[in-house]
Amino acid sequence: MTERYSRQTLFPPIGQAGQEKIGMKHVLMIGAGALGSGNAEVMVRAGVGKLTIVDRDYIEESNLQRQQLYTEEDVYEKLPKAAAAEKRLRAINSNVTIRAVIADATPDLLDELVQDVDLILDSTDNFETRMAINDISQKHHIPWIYGACVGSFGMSLTIIPGKTPCLHCLLKKIPIQGMTCDTGGIIAPAVQMVIAHQAAEALKILVEDWDAVRTTFTSFDLWRNQYTNIKITKAKDEGCLSCGEARTYPFLQNENLMKTTVLCGRDTVQVRPPTKQNLDLSHLSKQMQLLGYPMKGNPYLLSVDMESQRIVIFNDGRALIHGTKDLAQAKAIYNRLLG
Amino acid sequence: MNKLLFFAHLKDEAGKESITIDAAGKNVAELKAFVAEQHGMTKLDSAMTAINEEFAEDSDIIQEGDTIAFIPPVSGG
Ligand SMILES: [Zn+2]
Repeated sequence: MTERYSRQTLFPPIGQAGQEKIGMKHVLMIGAGALGSGNAEVMVRAGVGKLTIVDRDYIEESNLQRQQLYTEEDVYEKLPKAAAAEKRLRAINSNVTIRAVIADATPDLLDELVQDVDLILDSTDNFETRMAINDISQKHHIPWIYGACVGSFGMSLTIIPGKTPCLHCLLKKIPIQGMTCDTGGIIAPAVQMVIAHQAAEALKILVEDWDAVRTTFTSFDLWRNQYTNIKITKAKDEGCLSCGEARTYPFLQNENLMKTTVLCGRDTVQVRPPTKQNLDLSHLSKQMQLLGYPMKGNPYLLSVDMESQRIVIFNDGRALIHGTKDLAQAKAIYNRLLG
Repeated sequence: MNKLLFFAHLKDEAGKESITIDAAGKNVAELKAFVAEQHGMTKLDSAMTAINEEFAEDSDIIQEGDTIAFIPPVSGG
């Protein structure tokens, strides 16, 4: 134990006392894609007490270029990212308690998972979830670290409730999803740079070195050689609905409807039932077999090839409909299979 | 005069990294609308704006000599 973390405890701002703090902390990580892979690996190698990982997706070949926890075998097995990450992270450090949650990070789920959490690490790929994280952070008074990237460009911001402005203070208009993901692709170094910023901030927060926490909005472009820090101290908005006096947490309001979302940068729609299901996937696979659709499955999900769409159904009732961006069509396909 | 800097895909949309115009007296919202129209930019509206490396609101007025940066929040992860 002493030897394991020696190079980290030799670093004066952490030290033995800091290491003990890290070992007692619980980090909630939302998203286990590119940023999630790297952030989780840093946290687990650093010896965090507990890491909870939430992700709704499964591993595909195009992930391997930058999502450092995953392998070709994971792609072949179509493993959910959270499950594959858990397996790999346990092999890296068996002292850390790791919990994988294969689900969409809805406001309700976040509210449930955030109990006894010390820090939320954002590794998602959409603003809908980030704004929900932002509200949850304010509601429960838990710091969170925003990170995002596209192409060779990346950014990060640390949000400490009661101290810094929140993401809603800075983004009055929520950017439309997919605005950037489709255009520029992504290179792995941009991912790593965001991870470096987020994970360093995370360590500062875990050892409670509050004075060291960065108070600027950082952005950079590794290809165009730009690095910018914007001062945001003045940006705190007293009228902010997420962190101001008359806060309403607008991004936690749940509509009791089936929810459909076009996934960022992909020809895919996610369909989510209003309440969590517990589907019998083996029963479902037998039904599909009778209908003559080619399929493949594992204990977590079932993948069915229909005419021009592929449908991946998770046992919580959620489905990814690949091959369409049409919300109504996706809902119709979902209802055809599961309605 | 004022230097305007474009980050990430805004640079591609604008066709250049920076431009120099006289923006003094305009507020941020007016400047965004003006530049968006001049350069046919569709995504400037939701970009974050910094004046001299400090976060700026839509209503902040630009002074002579200020450097303005437009930074589009991205969602990839
Ligand atoms: Zn706020």
